[in-house]
Amino acid sequence: MAEKSNFSRRDEEDEEEEEVDEGDYKTVKDAVLFAIDVSESMLRKPEASDSKKADRDNATTAALKCAYSLMQQRIISNPNDMMGIVLFGTEQSKFQGEDPNSRGGLAYPHIYLLADLDVPDAEDVKTLKQLVEDKEEAARLLVPSSEKSFNLANLLFCANQIFTMKAPNFSSRRLFLVTDNDNPHFANKDARNSAAVRARDLYDLGVKIELFPISTPTHQFNRSTFYDDIVYESTPSDPDAPAPMSSAAKPSASGDGITLLQSLLSSINSKAVPRRALFSNLPLELGPGLRISVKGYIVLKRQEPARSTYIYMQGEKPQIAVGKTNVIAGDTARHMETTEIKKAFNFGGEQIVFTKDELAALRNFGDPVIRIIGFKPLSMLPIWAATKPATFIYPSDEEYVGSTRVFSALQQKLVKAQRYALVWFIARRNAAPMVAALLPGKEEVNEEGAQVWPPGLWIHPLPFADDIRQNPDMGDVVRASDELVDYMHDIVRNLQLPKAHYDPKRYPNPALQWHYRVLQAIALDEDMPEKAEDHTIPRYKQIHKRVGDLVVEWGQALDQEYAAHAAKSDSSKKLVAGLKRAAGIPGDGPSKKAKLLAAAGQGVGDDEMRKAFEKSAIDKFKVQDLKDWLYGKKLSTTGKKADLVERVTEFYESK
Amino acid sequence: MATKEATVFIIDIGKSMSEHNGGRNESDLQWAMHYIWDRVTSTVATGRKTAQIGVIALRSDETNHDLSGEEGYQHISILQPISQILMTNLRDLRGLIKSSNTENGDALSALVIAIQMIASHCKKLQYVRQIVLVTNGRGAMDTDDLPDIAKKLLEDSIELLVVGVDFDDLSYGYKEEEKTDLKRENEKILKGLTEQAGGIFGTLAQATEELGMPRVKSTRPVPSYKGPLTLGDTGNYDTALSINVERYPRTMVAAPPSASSFAVKSDSAPDETSAQSSATVVNGDTAPSEGSLAAVNMTRVYQIQDESAPGGKRDVDREELAKGYTYGRKAVPISESEENVTKFETSAGFEIIGFVPAESHQRFTDMSRTNVIIAQKTDEKQYLALSSFIHALHETDSFAVARLVAKENRPPLILILAPSIEPDCECLIDVEIPFAEDIRSYRFPPLDRIITVSGKTLTQHRNLPNDALTRAMDGYVDHMDLSLFDRDEEGNPTEYLPMDETYSPVLHRLHQAIRWRAVHPMEAFPPPPAALTRASNPPEELIKAAKPFLDKVQATGDVKKVPPKQLSRKRARDTIKPLSGLDVDALLHQDPSKRRRVISSENAIPDFKQLLASSEDPNAIADAARQMGARVQEWIERSLGDSGYGRAIEGIRVMREELSEFEEPGLYNEVMRGLKERLMKGELGGDRAEMWWLVRVNRLGLIDRTMSARSEVDEEEAKRFLAAK
Repeated sequence: MAEKSNFSRRDEEDEEEEEVDEGDYKTVKDAVLFAIDVSESMLRKPEASDSKKADRDNATTAALKCAYSLMQQRIISNPNDMMGIVLFGTEQSKFQGEDPNSRGGLAYPHIYLLADLDVPDAEDVKTLKQLVEDKEEAARLLVPSSEKSFNLANLLFCANQIFTMKAPNFSSRRLFLVTDNDNPHFANKDARNSAAVRARDLYDLGVKIELFPISTPTHQFNRSTFYDDIVYESTPSDPDAPAPMSSAAKPSASGDGITLLQSLLSSINSKAVPRRALFSNLPLELGPGLRISVKGYIVLKRQEPARSTYIYMQGEKPQIAVGKTNVIAGDTARHMETTEIKKAFNFGGEQIVFTKDELAALRNFGDPVIRIIGFKPLSMLPIWAATKPATFIYPSDEEYVGSTRVFSALQQKLVKAQRYALVWFIARRNAAPMVAALLPGKEEVNEEGAQVWPPGLWIHPLPFADDIRQNPDMGDVVRASDELVDYMHDIVRNLQLPKAHYDPKRYPNPALQWHYRVLQAIALDEDMPEKAEDHTIPRYKQIHKRVGDLVVEWGQALDQEYAAHAAKSDSSKKLVAGLKRAAGIPGDGPSKKAKLLAAAGQGVGDDEMRKAFEKSAIDKFKVQDLKDWLYGKKLSTTGKKADLVERVTEFYESK
Repeated sequence: MATKEATVFIIDIGKSMSEHNGGRNESDLQWAMHYIWDRVTSTVATGRKTAQIGVIALRSDETNHDLSGEEGYQHISILQPISQILMTNLRDLRGLIKSSNTENGDALSALVIAIQMIASHCKKLQYVRQIVLVTNGRGAMDTDDLPDIAKKLLEDSIELLVVGVDFDDLSYGYKEEEKTDLKRENEKILKGLTEQAGGIFGTLAQATEELGMPRVKSTRPVPSYKGPLTLGDTGNYDTALSINVERYPRTMVAAPPSASSFAVKSDSAPDETSAQSSATVVNGDTAPSEGSLAAVNMTRVYQIQDESAPGGKRDVDREELAKGYTYGRKAVPISESEENVTKFETSAGFEIIGFVPAESHQRFTDMSRTNVIIAQKTDEKQYLALSSFIHALHETDSFAVARLVAKENRPPLILILAPSIEPDCECLIDVEIPFAEDIRSYRFPPLDRIITVSGKTLTQHRNLPNDALTRAMDGYVDHMDLSLFDRDEEGNPTEYLPMDETYSPVLHRLHQAIRWRAVHPMEAFPPPPAALTRASNPPEELIKAAKPFLDKVQATGDVKKVPPKQLSRKRARDTIKPLSGLDVDALLHQDPSKRRRVISSENAIPDFKQLLASSEDPNAIADAARQMGARVQEWIERSLGDSGYGRAIEGIRVMREELSEFEEPGLYNEVMRGLKERLMKGELGGDRAEMWWLVRVNRLGLIDRTMSARSEVDEEEAKRFLAAK
């Protein structure tokens, strides 16, 4: 796997110590080229329908929308990956650096390179957006060629050249082909053969063709007519591709509730990220002498906004400045090479020095392995036993023949017996050993039959004794009566999430989305978005409707129980203190008016604060009063008095 | 944690301590010092000023303390007054603690001096006071003051710990044969004293054995959120629920000690350093001693692309740069005044979104460490309220899903809240679960059935376990059960390797090594304590019992290691076919552009692969390799800057892969030698150092004998080839 690294930054390599866990695995870059068919049938308007869910887009536009959505998504999730879009069968032609109006020898006639294969630029997003949203633009460009038949071999060779030039050594290169024509060369055997040859070229180059077929109400797309000659099972340069998934992208049938767009989006989304193995052919040792090989994948990872960078503004166009750290010796201000740097630990006011080899030897607890120590029931895995996301593993027969069947037997047994394997896990040479629970993962599919969770095993890291914190001291346990608990039962039962499970798909990360939404607006010179969409905010209205009365009842029961409890233990010194504190809470219990302090009438009221604001006299209040007031408004109460005053002022100014 | 500690160690260094006893290959003093150094260095390692230590030598040649004039107080020396111990003190102590030439010196007198040291140092302040006496019990003792000493220890609440060399300890199960009467008597006296003074009496063997037990540092809990846990909108509905809670960490990964970077001072020449160095030398890489280290500073420089600058890059000043982000390939600067424009504004809050059945939560979706949530401390009404919530979740087998913003303007998190009910603690446990963007929907084929390309479902296949394998696996898993494999103190079956008996190997190993090196700069590190590697292998007894079942899995699973690359010209590359099975190779033979057997520049890699595949003739293969090599050279030669390097690297990679599969390493090596020569001579368009650097990072050097038996290049030569610039 070729790796293109930054030449000038070579000194920084292998500098980092064993600190990052996933970060320093080599990332595998992906390049996706969309090829979208522009033909009469692709452009045909869907039949008019009253149904809200009916298609409104023609197939080409739907495909462009998918590409647009994928591009936006990849900017967030895979900022280093490339993407490009070509339209084929168009009247117009355009290729890298070619003038579309030039006369004569066009290399690729009727192929229009909409966005060249590269890390997407804001311009690409803009072009695509215009094409999707602006009808005139679409009408100008999306014109099918007047020639009857389009030469697919030409498209395939065009893709070949794009990948060769722009992404020569990406380990994952994919051509996404969207078309409704299952027999482009029905009459022309030569054209058909040369397409097959060009497809073979792509295969040998290491490019995988992903076909996204579109069926129309009158015609079911048939892969075997032609495309099975074009598509190969897997590419040789992608050793991580597991056994082929046979489920073809579902041809969408109009009018059945799922729109063409949705169906296409879902099948493209499932291929959005190439599978990238975190580790390959790691031995999973079932017992002494019995090893099978598995691959590891990061399926779950907290997606964060990319870090801010420095940008050079003086040039023609803003440019990212690449930072480089130099290490300077403190005594001579001499520039140092990484090999000269010594590592030492502070101990008793001095430095204890180790050589690099010594440190490596101390960290070495053996070769990489997932070794099963034994099995325990899942009930022995308390809910608090978690430290970081799990790694998914799936068998591979590359190193040991028979791995898949043995792995499968193990996975099925663990699922059935509700057990997990306790494992000793060393992910890489010299990686810190982990003790982990190997959890069975059952395959889960949604209503549409698409896989939600893959079948396999998950390496769930367990905390060491050093990582377990003691529960804070709570004093005596005060337990609610069964009656009070019963009130709460009803609340819990009445507020189940849809389909009785948490579906992550319904909860995009609002902070992440906002970050990129704003960046996109700036990058594309769009209007700033006004309000962030936030699906994580509870549905207050529904909560009120469904459990409001129950909460009030529970609140009353709580008041009664608390009064009784307080009376019983009146003499206890401790409780008096507790009572005093409780007095700060509104008398009718937390069920009503939970504004903690303000409403009790002891703190500063809103009117008072507003008046002070108008007279610019907020600083006359005591720090505690300001804090209480801010607390009541769910604002931060940290900082010095000046900060608090400023925060209150801001509150009113922003109103 | 902030309690102050004062510990005085009394170390018996009498002449008899230099004897080797009990078949040990070190003297009693050396043996005892393992224990003492461990105690002392683990205190030093905390770096706490409030953890203080004093050291007294008993039966020393000299006498050195305040009561030196008194009778019966000879041969006792204060080596270290009570204070925080630093490396310098450690070094001094190391020099001072050596067995003496005398057997005189009274342990009880030393005890009195230790009590005095503590009394005058700690006064009436809050201290945890301890005296540790390590002796072989072979010196004479004057027992007149025994009751007074016991009383004083109790009064000052000083804990006395007596650790004896080869002392009898029945509870540990040790008894020394042929004990002298004096020692037997002394042991009895000391034991009696510890009993009266509420101290501890033990034998050194047990103490050293327990050294291997890693010590877990406890941390004071700090809440990450304090405020209401709400259900509904407390601002706009009077039917909203609110309970005041506090959130504390339940798990938090303890980081191993981190090293800092240093430079070797320039005024200490390398050979001089090693002469001075007290550290060991490994592979010629010297660990310099403390004094020769200089701090290092990090400076950051920024570069931009500039065609006019030499090398195409130019340094720029930080002042010339604006902060910003990338959107795709576009740089999006953000002015300082708008710095927070991409920040998602939130207000602090902890809100319940809804409830789910407990079994719907997949454990593998846990995204983070965990926390506990308890009711606001000392507020019993909140306790009651939260208790009803916890019990309701527990009884309905439900978890809550909640949104947490711990502090204003932090990004929201989604948490699962699970009830946890223990006798002395009722709480909620929370763990983060994923957002939509956090999941990569990789799809994998099912493991219990095979779906063929044609859409058929198979339940019998070589990749699926047959009944025999399924049964064997059943048996193996059942017989490797750890849930009741261990025994507790009463001998009842209990869980083997619960989490609180596993210790972070790297963390403790590093601590051990640092402490060891501090006092034994010249010696090799001891092996890691067994407790660190206990989880690295299945318990022997268990695996022995389960062996027949394992063998059965082995037999029925028929697992075989894939031999290293099959050696055959007619390789596994069976003719490659598309899904339809169309014979593309036949088409290739007809294709006019392919028939010429020329590797074109634009379609080089497919041409090359197809040429190889279609040929059995060694000459044709050699010709293909030559042509491909020429294409690679062209790409480099025509490359503007590094524009053609990617293609060249890919070309080389493919050649290397294909030719080693074809068992023609010689052809590849020949191509590479030629390429390197021309590169180095600057014949491929000038300075192409970066190109060669890429060859090196991608490890595309010669194919050596370890890779291909037919290669004539040995490992050394391959290394030299790649390394040479």
